[in-house]
Amino acid sequence: MKIARRIALTASLTFGALASSMANADDFSPELIERGSYLATASDCIACHTGPGGKPMAGGLPIVSPVGTIVSTNITPSKPFGIGSYTETQFANAVRKGVRADGTNLYPAMPYTSYSVMRDEDIQALYAYFMKGVKPVEESPSETRLPFPMNIRALMMGWNLVFRNDKRLAEDRRKSVEWNRGRYLVEGAAHCGVCHTPRGFFMQEKTDRYLSGSQVGSWYAPDITSDKMTGIGTWTQEDLVTYLRTGRILSKALAAGSMAEAISHSLSHLADADLNAIATYIRGVPSTKTAPQASAPTRFGQGKTANELSGFRGQGFANGTKGDQAGAHLYSANCASCHGYNAQGTKDGYYPSLFHNSANAGDNPSNLIAVILFGVDRETIDDHVFMPPFGDQPNAINVLGNAEVALLANYIFKNHGNPNLKVTPEDVQVIREGGPRSNLLAVARIGMGTGAVLILLLTTFAWFVSRSIFKRRLL
Amino acid sequence: MASETGAEVVIVGTGVIGAVIAEQLLDEGHSVLMIEAGPRVSRAEIVENFRNVPLGAKGDTSASYPPRPWAPHPVADDKPEDQYLQLTGPDSYAQTFVRYAGGSTWHWAGTCWRLTPDDMRLRSLYGVGRDWPFDYDTLEPFYVRTEHKLGICGPSDPAMQWPARRSAPYPMEALPFSPGEQRFTEVVKTLGYNNIPVAQARNSGIPYDGRPSCCANNNCVPVCPIGAKYDAATSLARLERKGANILVDSVVYKVETNARNKIEAIHYYDQHKQAHRVTGKLFVLACNGLENPKLLLMSADDRNPNGVANSSDQVGRNMMDHPQLTLTVTTREPFWSGVGPVVNSGIIETSQGAFRSEYAGAYFRYNNFGRSRFVTFAALKKGLIGKALDEEIRRMTACTADIVAAHEILPDPNNRLTLSDKKDWLGLPKPAIHYDVGDYVRKSSEVYSLPIGKRIAEAMGAIDLKISPKFSQSKHIMGGTIMGEDPGSSVVDVDCRAHDHENLFIPGGGAMPSTACGNSTITMTALAIKAADAIARQMRGV
Amino acid sequence: MGPPKRANEPPPFRRVMKAMDRQPKEPNHLPTMSRRDALVGAVVAVLAGGMVASTHTSLALAAVEPSTQVRFMRMSRLLINHQLSPDVGARIVETMAGEYPDLPGMLDAIISIAERNHAAVVEDFFADIPDGELKDFAHWVILVWYSGCSSEKANATVFAYEEALTFKTTSDVVTVPSYGLSGPNRWSQIAVPVANMPTF
Repeated sequence: MKIARRIALTASLTFGALASSMANADDFSPELIERGSYLATASDCIACHTGPGGKPMAGGLPIVSPVGTIVSTNITPSKPFGIGSYTETQFANAVRKGVRADGTNLYPAMPYTSYSVMRDEDIQALYAYFMKGVKPVEESPSETRLPFPMNIRALMMGWNLVFRNDKRLAEDRRKSVEWNRGRYLVEGAAHCGVCHTPRGFFMQEKTDRYLSGSQVGSWYAPDITSDKMTGIGTWTQEDLVTYLRTGRILSKALAAGSMAEAISHSLSHLADADLNAIATYIRGVPSTKTAPQASAPTRFGQGKTANELSGFRGQGFANGTKGDQAGAHLYSANCASCHGYNAQGTKDGYYPSLFHNSANAGDNPSNLIAVILFGVDRETIDDHVFMPPFGDQPNAINVLGNAEVALLANYIFKNHGNPNLKVTPEDVQVIREGGPRSNLLAVARIGMGTGAVLILLLTTFAWFVSRSIFKRRLL
Repeated sequence: MASETGAEVVIVGTGVIGAVIAEQLLDEGHSVLMIEAGPRVSRAEIVENFRNVPLGAKGDTSASYPPRPWAPHPVADDKPEDQYLQLTGPDSYAQTFVRYAGGSTWHWAGTCWRLTPDDMRLRSLYGVGRDWPFDYDTLEPFYVRTEHKLGICGPSDPAMQWPARRSAPYPMEALPFSPGEQRFTEVVKTLGYNNIPVAQARNSGIPYDGRPSCCANNNCVPVCPIGAKYDAATSLARLERKGANILVDSVVYKVETNARNKIEAIHYYDQHKQAHRVTGKLFVLACNGLENPKLLLMSADDRNPNGVANSSDQVGRNMMDHPQLTLTVTTREPFWSGVGPVVNSGIIETSQGAFRSEYAGAYFRYNNFGRSRFVTFAALKKGLIGKALDEEIRRMTACTADIVAAHEILPDPNNRLTLSDKKDWLGLPKPAIHYDVGDYVRKSSEVYSLPIGKRIAEAMGAIDLKISPKFSQSKHIMGGTIMGEDPGSSVVDVDCRAHDHENLFIPGGGAMPSTACGNSTITMTALAIKAADAIARQMRGV
Repeated sequence: MGPPKRANEPPPFRRVMKAMDRQPKEPNHLPTMSRRDALVGAVVAVLAGGMVASTHTSLALAAVEPSTQVRFMRMSRLLINHQLSPDVGARIVETMAGEYPDLPGMLDAIISIAERNHAAVVEDFFADIPDGELKDFAHWVILVWYSGCSSEKANATVFAYEEALTFKTTSDVVTVPSYGLSGPNRWSQIAVPVANMPTF
């Protein structure tokens, strides 16, 4: 599937080049279209705007958000079903302001709050690419139907008033050209903050906690500020560039979930100069901690090698599932074949150790649960990293229930990760279902309900009052 | 007795044959009921079972798959009176099939040698055995579909392919050799032989079909811990998502015919010995080359006194396998088996030639199992301690290797499965098999295969050579429901449809008229896909 | 402040044991315990006792005295000069205790032969173990640690699989079956010389 996307991208680019050479109106040069294609890759449009098994940019991907499921739209140049009739200004407004050609608002699942920094010439290149470099798909994906009151798109106007940022980035002369380029990419196309910055109650990014870590559905996008303890302050430039290109630094970090997608579709295809620019900028993002912290191990250096095999080895499968060794037994039966019976991984490090592994440490247990349930599927230029899932997928190698995942995760945290992390079967179910839900929906409903009751009371009171005035007048 | 409607298509068995046919028919919109004699188990349990088996018994595949009482399969450990197979004859037909959901591909090695055009024309070319009723080019497209369905990796270089006559490349490239195989390849080249990669149903370098890639667990037999090797168990959840109804712990004991001698229903016992009857439009027997003929014989009725589908009297006859001899070689220099999958390469060109008019072809496979479990107790028995013990174990692990010579065999109607008078837990007759590998095979070992094997051992620099004194079987069950054009001398037609009953299909190893030397699963599965095409046409009324 | 020390933490235990094993050969000196030895022995006993107590509740440890476990591990390390897992040792002792009524006596007998010879390695004293029951026992202990089983029979008791020493003699080249060796298609071991024994 992911290979198909790459091929499709290349094919659509070729088609686009062909088309532009045939066009007489809308004369976009092949160079402009190619630059637009590169920017679209950097912005990772394809990741959201392509449905499972679907055609590139034709929409249809259900995006589970804390307030409901949003379905991505068709942004191919189809006139009836896509954006084929958009002018460049309408395109710019959609991308930078979250406003559709018909004036309705987009939900900020479309990261227009990030893309708002994109320069006019880059918007033009993107427009050229989407008009000429993408194959039109004459199909409409299903409509987004968020629960009331989120389905009232007009409410987004108020949200945008408070939280949208319409400014372009001003160049910071004190910093290098590379840093500025990095900032433009990070805050714009690569929209790192959309995942890595925690959100407030109204689902807005908290700019004072920039890149300090946030829940993204089932996964947790960790702190990537330069904090030496909670962030990636201990990483070198080369570490970060390698990670962005491949999704892996041995015994430090491995990308899964949405980050794996970002690397597969976007970051692994960027030019070295841009990866270095991104790394330069990110490594300069300050820690958001205000008070000094007591020293503690980073999420990259926790845990140890160990096994608890003698609790059940040679005593029959059924015995192993009971008692104190159930977690160790689950590890042996499900994980050890690749990750080693001492959790040491393979000698070449391809299958990572589970100690000194940031998935099992840090402050948030989501990633370990998510990787057990969903596995890893990460394609880069020359590799396809795959860990099978253990949820209830048809290709799950073994199917683990919530209680088993909790036992297994707690065993791994205790022996190979951060022993202070502990999860319950209920926690596992939350991750299985796509992550914690926001209270915003409930509060909005209560709020609107309260508002409605108030209006009703006021109206009723006003009616009584007017009646009594009338009565008095009559008398 | 409960009676329930089954489905349009009722498939007995959930091994590779049943799974492949089920998926194709489900994709065409038919309803499918699969009936499995044994249990559904998790991979985790089998993996831990294997790890818990004592080191000295790890070579016994049945040790990881304890059978359920209602679905007995052979257990090496069983006392004679408890044995499931009643074996007679000068050669043993011992088998290790698994009656679990997923069938025997749970523990196969994944080896996928295609037949060659010559392998299918023994009678015409050499005056022995039987010809297949169609040629290689007819079967070839089904091989391609099998290779893509199971995920079979193989060499892209035609010089290394077997045979090179193919209409499509393998979906994945061949796997790397172990040091032992690399050395073996060099050594046998000096004798003029080519040790080539085995095509195998194993994910090579990339994930395939939602399953991870091989990471050299070296445990394919008895179980791949991660599902990189294709086994039918990996497809069961997908079949259920597509709408298959899979009954487990349900032992089919009777195929019921109606007045028009079409198949009307299937009868099975559940684990509480309650009988059930299910009906369908079309029936597929896919419970392996031994259980299929046994079931047909058990189903004898007034219309079919010799057994269902048995007007030819060939059901249960022509039982075949690949008789094998093992050469255990101790070398001076280290070869190191055990890196990579357990069977990864072999010399197969020795299976072809004009000599086949007189004696059997043979194939020499380099057994790439890690040697530790083979050599540890021998080293300890020498009374060694300390450094000397460590060095001896290491030396023997590095410097011993098993080369297995697997022979083709001819169909002999006297190599026959019948119903014994011994009963199993459900009261069903245990199968009796009389087996003699025949002079065709014995002569080969005398004048052909063992002389070659000895020359190979010598070229390897053997300082010791042990050869198995008797043939054992490769556990590739073939022939018991043999295919042919003549209903007088065969059980099924070119699509594995029973000659006697147009809505009964019996695809699998039992249909193969010749064995050649290579493992049978790929050919069986190609026949299954061919049968599925025929079933689909039949269901469409074409 | 990390989690409490677990039974499976070799370093401090092993360092102490090696110190004990490497007693200098003193001529004309009977193997009486020096004050240092006694102190070290006491520390070891306390540590081992603590470790044994924290091993899994599935073991019927009430039947085995901590000191028997300690002596078994000591004897095992004298017979086999490699790192040995105390958890596996506990499993072995638990099973043995029923089979060998005079287990403590046999352990002491072998330990004293080693001490009498000032043995640094097993080759220093093994020949002096008298033939018969004691020597058979010593061979059996070696078999158990190397194979992880009580015998080569199909119905042997299994104490260990992954940690059986046989696999450690060849861990540089071959995997323990059912455990991955490398990333996909990245196994490229060459025919390593037999002489390169791994350390374990």
